[in-house]
Amino acid sequence: MSTQLNIAQETAKPVPGSGFIGSTDDQDVLLEISNLSKNFGGLQAINDVSLNLRAGIITTLVGPNGAGKTTLFNMITGHIPPTEGNVHWQGESVIGKAPWKIARQGIARTFQDLRLFTHMTVEENILTVMEPGSWLWQPGGKSRKARRYDKVSQILERTGLTDKRHTRALDLAYAERKFLSLARIMATDSRLWLLDEPASGLDPNSYNLFLRLLREEVKEGITVCIIEHNLDIVVNISDRIAFLDQGKLLADGEPETILNDPALAAIYFGER
Amino acid sequence: MTAYILNLLVLISVYAILSTTLNFIIGYAGIFSLAHAVFFGIGGYTAALVAMNVTPEFFVAVPVAMGAAAVTSLLLALPALRVRGEYFVAASLGLQVLAVTLFSEWKSFTGGIGGVIGIPAVELFGYPVYKPWQFLLMSLICLATIIVITRTLVHTSFGRSLKALRDSESAALASGKNITVIKTLSVVLSSSLAAAAGALYAFYMSFINVESFMLDTSVLVMAMVIIGGTATILGPLLGAALLMLIPSALTYLSFLPQTEIGSIQQMVYGMAMVLLMIFRPGGIVSSHPGGSK
Repeated sequence: MSTQLNIAQETAKPVPGSGFIGSTDDQDVLLEISNLSKNFGGLQAINDVSLNLRAGIITTLVGPNGAGKTTLFNMITGHIPPTEGNVHWQGESVIGKAPWKIARQGIARTFQDLRLFTHMTVEENILTVMEPGSWLWQPGGKSRKARRYDKVSQILERTGLTDKRHTRALDLAYAERKFLSLARIMATDSRLWLLDEPASGLDPNSYNLFLRLLREEVKEGITVCIIEHNLDIVVNISDRIAFLDQGKLLADGEPETILNDPALAAIYFGER
Repeated sequence: MTAYILNLLVLISVYAILSTTLNFIIGYAGIFSLAHAVFFGIGGYTAALVAMNVTPEFFVAVPVAMGAAAVTSLLLALPALRVRGEYFVAASLGLQVLAVTLFSEWKSFTGGIGGVIGIPAVELFGYPVYKPWQFLLMSLICLATIIVITRTLVHTSFGRSLKALRDSESAALASGKNITVIKTLSVVLSSSLAAAAGALYAFYMSFINVESFMLDTSVLVMAMVIIGGTATILGPLLGAALLMLIPSALTYLSFLPQTEIGSIQQMVYGMAMVLLMIFRPGGIVSSHPGGSK
């Protein structure tokens, strides 16, 4: 029996994807990646990738290790410049902009290695991403400050971190760190979330909470792009899948189309 | 004896200002500077120049000294914006070496190797402060003010931004933090407050020369911060007191050869640093012995 990605039928939960109903092709394009390439010396990490991230759905980037998924995130968020190509966010190019400017325009991201503010408390980790001013004070005075603290409490409640409010990030358990990473992104007003393997290593309860949170956020209008290796997660969460291999975009479409393609399965499982 | 103790206390408070201000960038922003003595020196020379040529009024000479250091500190902020960690240490070392050469050669400003002599007593609203206990009181008030300023800052959103970029610069950027502004402000603040210590030192000694602002001083102040405990309020104070008291304590040990006290002092510093890094890397005042932040 040839290997296929149609595990979907075996492991799918009753409501796969974010809960979005309809054709994802009809959704507005929020982020447009055009002919993006990145060379690291002789290595072509990304090769002429064009991809649209559509509003209000979860798009999953899949592909073997070294496919260029994180590099793509790094270029979208301005952490590394592309060799060629362009990225348009809501019609405006973000290429050449500093990462902090891109973040303030509404593109938030998490990191595979989390990169929490480890010596700060959970509360401080969340609070600091809600404080956009870099000078000695924040605009808005006491009322806005009170609103920020209220929002922190709500996020802590939703992510199950209320009891850890004053714990240093360094002292959290693994799943709690993952949720802090998610809490930090929830605290932003960003419209697009780029999540780099957010659910890897989560126990079943934490995983279910993660899925629930993500679906709630997408329902509220957040657009999500996830890098994920775990096919169970891919099947459960994706409204759309983009398949990358060796820096090239091989396919982009509805989950059923991608997951049932034997050629992509062969690449994914290294049988090519 | 009283004069000796008062002298020691004044010097401890001056160095405590230096260690507190260096701790602001080392402990909270993760910027390890080996050029702190440069701003100590700029503060000292500028205050001396103002006192001798304009007025010895505290509220004129000290702000001018702080302003001069703030402007000069942009030279330190530039490498801080581009490099981190050991690369920044090397860049700040370069600035320290450059400054020592300028302090030695720029005779019209610093008096060259001979230094500046005859700095008048500082005045507070026209009243000269020349008694040691008065000066001690003034320097303690300055220290307390600087502690309040830094403590307040680290508990504000600015302090959180500093700590965020210390813990992960890339995550801070991805959170919308303008690290150029944050780093520049932290370096400017730290340097200008260090200049206040330089001004106090110049007024207290009434004579300054390049010897007080060399790499040794930068290393000594960094040792005060690390031994005391980074990212704490008490740590740098304790570090300053300890490292200023050690030489005095050694002179009381009659069995030590008095001519070798300087070398013994260096050995004690070195040994203390090595032992602390092994057994208490967060410093003496550390709520987390594995590494205080």
